[in-house]
Amino acid sequence: MPQRPFEEAVLPHLNAAFNYARWLTKNDAEAEDVVQDACVRAMRYFSSFHDDDARAWLFTIVRNAWYSRVARRPRVADATPFDGARDDRRDDALDPEERLLQQHSVALVRAALERLPVDFREVIVLREIEGLAYKEIAAVVRVPIGTVMSRLARGRERLSALLKLAPMETTR
Amino acid sequence: MSCEQAERDLDAYLDGELDAGVAMTVRNHLGTCAACRRHVVEREALSRLVETAPYYSAPERLRARVVAQTTRFRFVRRAMMLAAAAALAVSAGGGMMLLRSASTFVDAIADDAVDSHVRSLMANHLFDVQSTDQHTVKPWFQGKLDFSPPVVDLASNGFPLVGGRLDFLGGRPVAALVYQRQKHAINVFVSPEHDDASARAAVRSVRGFHVHHWTHGGMSFWAVSDVNDSELTEFSRALGAS
Repeated sequence: MPQRPFEEAVLPHLNAAFNYARWLTKNDAEAEDVVQDACVRAMRYFSSFHDDDARAWLFTIVRNAWYSRVARRPRVADATPFDGARDDRRDDALDPEERLLQQHSVALVRAALERLPVDFREVIVLREIEGLAYKEIAAVVRVPIGTVMSRLARGRERLSALLKLAPMETTR
Repeated sequence: MSCEQAERDLDAYLDGELDAGVAMTVRNHLGTCAACRRHVVEREALSRLVETAPYYSAPERLRARVVAQTTRFRFVRRAMMLAAAAALAVSAGGGMMLLRSASTFVDAIADDAVDSHVRSLMANHLFDVQSTDQHTVKPWFQGKLDFSPPVVDLASNGFPLVGGRLDFLGGRPVAALVYQRQKHAINVFVSPEHDDASARAAVRSVRGFHVHHWTHGGMSFWAVSDVNDSELTEFSRALGAS
């Protein structure tokens, strides 16, 4: 198979890579660093890339780059890549400030999505915003398809509760 | 179909990810169950809301930086290849040059392997399949990778197999086998050998972790752990010999 140059295969997905990184990190500057880091890795490994789906491949590398950065960070108390401390707050209500934004659906959705634990947030972003199939999500996140399915269901359930579309489920 | 089952399958149904038979059962259930239909309406409303979430496009300066990197990367690589070729043509100097570029590649993978190791421990994602039975671990990889990694238990050598998972190394999906030495985990990343640059055995120490690399039977192995170097050597030998 003749290989396309890196620019042609990977650069068209830079926006997608940045969007995913931005949702992972919730921070512009960090997302830029993650994507740049990911692109360096992608370049280095590009000669061994023979798949057709450069976007999913790039997502995987972005995700790895992010987790590596988190892992290299000095550990603060019990910090985990799942930003558990932040996300385990009762998430059935938004701050007053966030509530003020309720009129503004974009801000509301963003706040609610950012409030979700990253495991749930990323599958929702990959599915709803990037339109990946379950199989592709499973490959990026490296979990079985069944796990993708249950994370999506639980993530959406939580998101519905945050957005007051439905009462929060009592379980989990 | 019960509501409970329908609820479990509802997301996959709406995402068009169920096979036709199950989808039909869900559809039939929805036809008779108002509560589940409400759930559908709710999910559709959620989807519409999520569609309004911001899409973050890459800033121009990031794009410019990546393009510049690509150019620089290509230039450096071409220069290295030219220099290596020229040196080869002239004398033995080319060997050194090739060695240098190969070792850069090995360093990159070693670094990556340590990242994966640390990640697996931190993210509590050491296994996708947890088993001390090689006959459980090996078939688990089937259909998930386009190769079949050799899986052996080394319990008799003091390195029991504890599980496996899928990982990603050097831009490629790999099998990660997890062994244990007392309280320490050893990650072994296995993939088909096909990079000349990585064919050479290597020993590295990266950020306090030991990394051993070797090839055997057409497969490339990267072992990473915080056990001491002699133990990892013993482990690599045991695995390489099996």
